[in-house]
Amino acid sequence: MPVLALDTSADIAVTLVGDGEDHPVLAARRVVGQRRHAELLAPMIAEVLAEAGVDRRELGAVVVGTGPAPFTGLRAGLVTARTLAFALGVPVHGVCSLDAIAAEAFATQGQGVHEVVVVTDARRREVYTARYRRRVGGPTTVVEVEQVAAPAVLTPLVLAADGALDAALVVGAGVDLYPEHLTARQDSPRVPDPAVLTRLAMARVARGETSGTEPLYLRRPDVTPAAGRKRATG
Amino acid sequence: MPDTTLVLGIETSCDETGVALVRVGADSDELLVDAVASSVDEHARFGGIIPEIASRAHLEAMVPTLQRALSEADVDLGEVDAIAVTAGPGLVGPLTVGAAAAKALAVGLGIPVFGVNHVIGHAAVDELVHGRFPERVMALVVSGGHSSLLLVDDIASDVTELGHTLDDAAGEAFDKVGRLLGLPYPGGPHIDRLAREGDPTAIRFPRGLTAAKDQATHAHDFSFSGLKTAVARWVEARQDAGEEIPLPDVAASFAAAVADVLTAKTIAACRRHDVGTLVIGGGFSANSQLRELAAQRCAEAGIAVRIPPIRYCTDNGAMIAALGAAALRRGVRPSALDLPVDSSMPLTTVTL
Ligand SMILES: [Zn+2]
Repeated sequence: MPVLALDTSADIAVTLVGDGEDHPVLAARRVVGQRRHAELLAPMIAEVLAEAGVDRRELGAVVVGTGPAPFTGLRAGLVTARTLAFALGVPVHGVCSLDAIAAEAFATQGQGVHEVVVVTDARRREVYTARYRRRVGGPTTVVEVEQVAAPAVLTPLVLAADGALDAALVVGAGVDLYPEHLTARQDSPRVPDPAVLTRLAMARVARGETSGTEPLYLRRPDVTPAAGRKRATG
Repeated sequence: MPDTTLVLGIETSCDETGVALVRVGADSDELLVDAVASSVDEHARFGGIIPEIASRAHLEAMVPTLQRALSEADVDLGEVDAIAVTAGPGLVGPLTVGAAAAKALAVGLGIPVFGVNHVIGHAAVDELVHGRFPERVMALVVSGGHSSLLLVDDIASDVTELGHTLDDAAGEAFDKVGRLLGLPYPGGPHIDRLAREGDPTAIRFPRGLTAAKDQATHAHDFSFSGLKTAVARWVEARQDAGEEIPLPDVAASFAAAVADVLTAKTIAACRRHDVGTLVIGGGFSANSQLRELAAQRCAEAGIAVRIPPIRYCTDNGAMIAALGAAALRRGVRPSALDLPVDSSMPLTTVTL
């Protein structure tokens, strides 16, 4: 059955993925940028379904990128995925958004690559980053990855210190923000592709692994109380 | 067309995740369930609502609260005919979670969604308790976040804001005076309790915007910050003189000033606009002096007063489902799927 996949960690990306081991893309929408998630997600979902001629009741699962990402947009994606799956009565699977960038890098950047470091924009002059190797023993058509270093938020300077990136392929939109610390191949992936998230999610489900949708915030909330509002009295 | 329709309401404008189901009948609307999950305890130690903490809690509570509401009402999600959700006013992060969830339900179920005004919902909820509104009502919505006087010609489509607070909301003033008197946060309920033991005529605190000169420009507006300052000055003067502070009398006199201004201005507005029914909503309508004074003065003025029980006055899904039900009933056009949230949604906008 078709799978509806979305990611709001970098852009607003919605993809309808078809049946079959290669999970063909049936329809896709992407709005570049970090704003207006709450407005655009639902219409984009309706659009990919309409374009592919798929009825919402035909969907077999929902897949969502769990970040790390700025909080508001990430939450819009997660609550949309969870609630849509609840409405449809189908499972929802979460995959770390950085995993999709890493998997695409291994799949497209040649066999010589042993380690991939994904770097994305965490704002405040920091990056989200995780380090990967190719997962061996997976189904042949899907490049699977495993985290060598779990997602973290760092300054580009600390990330690149002591030649830590020398032996790795560095990918992700963060490389374009900090060229003084990070260098990347021009054609390497920058943002998560929901179709890749789906392939990873389905491979994990097939292996019996869990794929929860807990958000990867990686930062504590700023605890400044809301101005002028409010208290428990409604 | 079935003789009843079912509306699911979602509220996330602040720290409460509310989900409610309302069955819309020919003559009345019935509340089937009103489920609320609150993150209030997580905010108490910061002395105010932390938007990011509230937003995180809304995400985690959304599907479980939906499940709980449906199971308590013994309703299948497929039976729901329309979704209503708070589009504003409120905190952007929390509003965004609710709106995204509501639209996902609308897409997933193939049903319309109505983005509605939270403050007007505080008035609309009374239709679930005391029946549908007559032709024209006055609504006083008072809480920690809002103090507004609304002329309601049609709760679903025609609301005029006659006045609002120029500074603090009524509940906010209570919390600030509570802090000033050294009471725990939130101070409102503590002042209310103390006030019941005190003499409301002990101290004559000022009534904001009631002078003759204010009648031209601010007849229906409120101001409570001068009152708060007057309480602070009175307390400090006593402290400087080494005298004990008669907390119950201060609380009672302060609460009397707030209730006096709210009710006097509201009843004057009813008279001016020839309105025979007053609805009071919002969490501050739990305040005892306000309830008593409103009942007494409305009786004298021949105005019918409707105040829902306290559990309907705090933020909840019922108020949103009630307003969604009114919109559905009146044939208001549903919101587009790209419905935004509006943290400062005007009170003349009932649905987006
Ligand atoms: Zn409220």
